[in-house]
Amino acid sequence: MSASKYTDNSAVKRFKAAPARPPLKQNRGVFHILRQRCFNNIGNSVLTLLILLGGFYLIKGMLDWAVINAVFVADSRRQCMEISPDGACWAGIISWFNGLIYGRYPIEEQWRVNAGFMIAVAWLLPLMSKGLPLRNFVLLSWIGLFPFLGGYLFLGGQFGQELGLLHGLMTSLALAYFVLNYLNWGLHKLGKQGLHEVFVPVLSQWIQRRVHLTSLLLVWGALAIAIAFGLTQVSLPSVAIERWGGLFLTFIIAGFAITMAIPVGVVLALGRRSKLPVIHWLCLVTIELVRSVPLITVLFMAVTLLPIFLPADVEFNKLAQVLVAVCIFAGAYMAENIRGGLQAIPAGQYEAAKTLGFGYWHTMLLVILPQALRMMIPNIMTSFISLLKDTTLVSIIGLFDIMLMARNIANDKDWIGLHTEPLVMISILFFVICYGMSQYSLNLEKRLKVDR
Amino acid sequence: MATLNTNAALAKEEVKAIEIQQLNKWYGDHHVLKDVTLDIYEGEIMVVCGPSGSGKSTLIRSLNHLEEYQEGQVNVFGQTLARDRQSDQLIHNTMGMVFQNFNLFPHLTVLENCTLGLTWLRKLPENEANRTAMKLLDRVGIAHLAERFPGQLSGGQQQRVAISRSLAMEPKIMLFDEPTSALDPEMVKEVLDVMIDLAKTGMTMVCVTHEMQFARQVADRVVFMADGEVVEVGPPEQVLVNPEWDRTREFLQHVL
Repeated sequence: MSASKYTDNSAVKRFKAAPARPPLKQNRGVFHILRQRCFNNIGNSVLTLLILLGGFYLIKGMLDWAVINAVFVADSRRQCMEISPDGACWAGIISWFNGLIYGRYPIEEQWRVNAGFMIAVAWLLPLMSKGLPLRNFVLLSWIGLFPFLGGYLFLGGQFGQELGLLHGLMTSLALAYFVLNYLNWGLHKLGKQGLHEVFVPVLSQWIQRRVHLTSLLLVWGALAIAIAFGLTQVSLPSVAIERWGGLFLTFIIAGFAITMAIPVGVVLALGRRSKLPVIHWLCLVTIELVRSVPLITVLFMAVTLLPIFLPADVEFNKLAQVLVAVCIFAGAYMAENIRGGLQAIPAGQYEAAKTLGFGYWHTMLLVILPQALRMMIPNIMTSFISLLKDTTLVSIIGLFDIMLMARNIANDKDWIGLHTEPLVMISILFFVICYGMSQYSLNLEKRLKVDR
Repeated sequence: MATLNTNAALAKEEVKAIEIQQLNKWYGDHHVLKDVTLDIYEGEIMVVCGPSGSGKSTLIRSLNHLEEYQEGQVNVFGQTLARDRQSDQLIHNTMGMVFQNFNLFPHLTVLENCTLGLTWLRKLPENEANRTAMKLLDRVGIAHLAERFPGQLSGGQQQRVAISRSLAMEPKIMLFDEPTSALDPEMVKEVLDVMIDLAKTGMTMVCVTHEMQFARQVADRVVFMADGEVVEVGPPEQVLVNPEWDRTREFLQHVL
């Protein structure tokens, strides 16, 4: 623009960037690092050898007990002891394995549990494809509709008798949605329009607004009615809640708590930051009260106090009470996590949203919460993991979760006194699940990083 | 008054876009705005300058209710602003704002930043919103970055996205709160160029800025503020070249 700003242009030197050099090479071999850090003088060498020796005996001891001297096939603990007195008796775990997973759920009905969990996972698979129409609704429907379908599968019963009308209808809606969602996913993959779009041209002659939504609702409703009719024709043998147990029950409680923790936590966290005194204090008291009481107490209170507060004719089963209790407990903890995230959002974000014309709910749902939740993924996942482990406490109020089932093994007359192996087994199971969760959260963190 | 000299006032009928009357504001005991009275005409480019702490940012943030004021009133196109829904609506329909720190939404792409308001508030269908946003991004020369995230952009690029984002809501008045202060020197020009282009379209603009070159080039009037007061108002050739007050002269000696 203004080269003429300078008086003397004749002697200008031309700048050219120097060529980049490759970085200096470092010796990164394992052997090199070992020698440099672990064997660099006599003291360190001795220490290293001692630690290696200690580690060797520790691992050898564990392997001897758990694998080499262990008994995998036996009929009773006594037989185990006869075969190998100082090895693990895995035979007991193997014979009780089904109980650990399903509790006392009848064996011939266990496919329903498997089917329920497979549908739960399959429900979320369409989320993998970006740009799927109504993608946001997949997760919402999972939270809002799947529990009914799961409840139907796990409980069983005949539509109109054991299965209440509302529950039956919601189950039909859930199944219809599941089918529709997969059809739409398939059509979307093939590049076709969604199934519900079929009615759009016809409908648009009658109504002007929300044609697509109405069309979707029509298809969904019709499918649900067909499925409801189908449900009246079949009848699953009912399985009482008292027979649910094992890892299955742990998953139900933890899954429910985890899915409800975020919505409940968001409501409590926003309420706590509210400028309306009533809402603020209500949320504050709830959070502080629940957080300062041990989970066991909350569970006991739910089982003993809830029935007193509720009208006498409302019959509540123990599981429902526990679910409510765990949900509030998880929500209170989550609320504080989320509040931390909310506080980390700079005021500029609120101001920018305000100047664009967004009101409170739009600002929160579109701008603030997506950032706050992403920022809090590590903390949220930590809460989820401890929640999963905390659910083993429900064994105290007599729900046959995996913990109580494990203790049951030691009471079995064939396996009397078998305490260690079930606990080791549970530790392994929990480690696998929790480690999986934490790896998933790392992956999620990387994918959803706020500042890319 | 001095307004008689301005291009905008000569070119257009004198419609008052914003009237600020006897505005007073305190932060606790600190009196930050003292009887500020100012008219901004439609199509006018008004530059507000002054030392830091003189209340310039507070003044323009009071116009769109990011700040509360205790006394005085602000009229926008003849309507007095109050603390109610109707006034909020008026503010959102007429005013856009660009911030010093851009304040883009970091979890959304550049395009999504621009379409968020269109899809959720104006209820435009997605493809229409995208088309509008792309047109605006093209205007500020960053259409090719539409799929990036704000964190991947330079400061100057981010600020241009912020300007497009505001323009997407079709404001009649644009408020700029030190739009170039957080930028590296080499990026200031690209943002100022966009603002100059915008000025040529007849947009009403209120800019708090330290860019005196920009003020001289595009401003219809310059306001000099010090200690919460408006010291001088007038066309740039008057206020910036031959100010009446010693306070203005002192300030200009420091910045020019």
